[in-house]
Amino acid sequence: MFAIAPTRESQVAVEKQWSAFEAEAMPHATSLFRIALWLTRDQTEAEDLVQETLTEALASFHRFTPGTNCRAWLVSIMYHRHSKRRKATTRLHLVSDAEERIAETIAFEAPTPQNVTDEEVLGALERLPRAFQEVVILADVEEMSYKEIAAATDVPMGTVMSRISRGRSLLRGELASYAKAHGFGESDKRRISRVSEDQ
Amino acid sequence: MQCREFREIADSYLGNELIVETNHEVISHLEHCSECRSELAARRELRSQLREAFIKAPENQMSPEFTQRLRTQLHDYAVGKRSVTPVSQRVWRSSVMVRRTSWLALAACLLLASAFGLVLVRQRISERSPQQGKEGVAGREPTPTYPAELNPGIPVSIVKTELARDAAGDHRDCAVHFRLAEKPIDLEVAGRKYDPVYVNLTKAVVSEQGEVPFGAEFVEAHSCVFQGRRFAHIILRYHGRLVSFLVTEIGDSNPAKTNAALASKGAQVIACSQFDGYQVSCFQTARHAVFIVSDLPEGDNLALARAVAPSVFAHITHAENPA
Repeated sequence: MFAIAPTRESQVAVEKQWSAFEAEAMPHATSLFRIALWLTRDQTEAEDLVQETLTEALASFHRFTPGTNCRAWLVSIMYHRHSKRRKATTRLHLVSDAEERIAETIAFEAPTPQNVTDEEVLGALERLPRAFQEVVILADVEEMSYKEIAAATDVPMGTVMSRISRGRSLLRGELASYAKAHGFGESDKRRISRVSEDQ
Repeated sequence: MQCREFREIADSYLGNELIVETNHEVISHLEHCSECRSELAARRELRSQLREAFIKAPENQMSPEFTQRLRTQLHDYAVGKRSVTPVSQRVWRSSVMVRRTSWLALAACLLLASAFGLVLVRQRISERSPQQGKEGVAGREPTPTYPAELNPGIPVSIVKTELARDAAGDHRDCAVHFRLAEKPIDLEVAGRKYDPVYVNLTKAVVSEQGEVPFGAEFVEAHSCVFQGRRFAHIILRYHGRLVSFLVTEIGDSNPAKTNAALASKGAQVIACSQFDGYQVSCFQTARHAVFIVSDLPEGDNLALARAVAPSVFAHITHAENPA
């Protein structure tokens, strides 16, 4: 918590620091909530986690360097908090070797289907192993860099890159299977027209 | 660069994660490979669709109540006003409350028995010496500024002391500390279920543009129960302090007589004094009492109450007499 002194100057300083925090960190609350909900799968727990994260961030806001990526900083705090909570209640979840092996065995790169609905995209994401969902969400939804993801999740950069690549590939594979099952794909008219536009 | 190589690094290219040299190779490849261009466009589109779908998914939205509460709590924490209570603890400490209930019930019984005995003793004393008794009670009352004829149907002392004390307690336990035993419910739902006066009550305090007199900020509105009494509870923030507008039913007086009396006086706001360190201003209608509770200076609390009183009074009076 900010230092509290009875002088007017210090009160002004506290309000000033709150204003800075409100402008810099609070706009990312929604993004934090999405990640928290994905991590906890429970709305109340997610709200708790967001609250804890922002409280900790507020208490250590003097350590944040203006001009750097505040959201990545907040996500790092959130992962740290989440890790502490999980260690307190259960064994740490690790990506199973089997999951990694499955991902490694993907050789065929299906062309990316284009006319799928939002529900199908989210359904495909949901079917990915959690370790791959995680990096795809952080990279493609929250638009964090590989480096930021590695720092936040405490996973080596090379592993992050590998998981992102495999995760995206798996996602496309899921959607391609769906597209094939429903009779559309590479020969789809829309795709052809897009190709001709590109050319 | 071969198409197979391009497909392996296409996502990194989209994420701007490649070194400059590799970027040049990709661009060079794309210039003469329409199939890879269309694949890149498809991946870009999928990425964009995934992002939008995930962000817009209804389950991924933060509730406005949580958003507002979060901001309020963090601000209070920042200025050193209070610590942050986790949502899960605030929801609603029911298990702890259940364990404590039997002991609390026993304590409450003992307290009630003592209070009843005390009342009997005081009644006997006042019967023997009425004038002396009145002075004795008045001496312990808060500032006697309440006009006795404001609502002829309701004993002034009850509104002034018992309910005002409850209102201050509700402000403290609900708005400030979030430690009510019973979870608050939506104000409009409570309006349909318990008291029609609650329906659209928020609009009497907050304008359609979301403005509150004196630039106060709307925090939340709900219905909650304190010590068995139900309140409509609208929480505002003014000069960084939480302010509670609490409306509760006070029984049925003679509406026609009361309304006539009130109409001649308008929505008078009275400074009721302090309870537990909180300023409580109040006014009443035929069947409801309205309390404005905060730890603002008395003048500020009263001024805010007076600013909102006309619209709240009009709303409640209209709801009490729908015809």
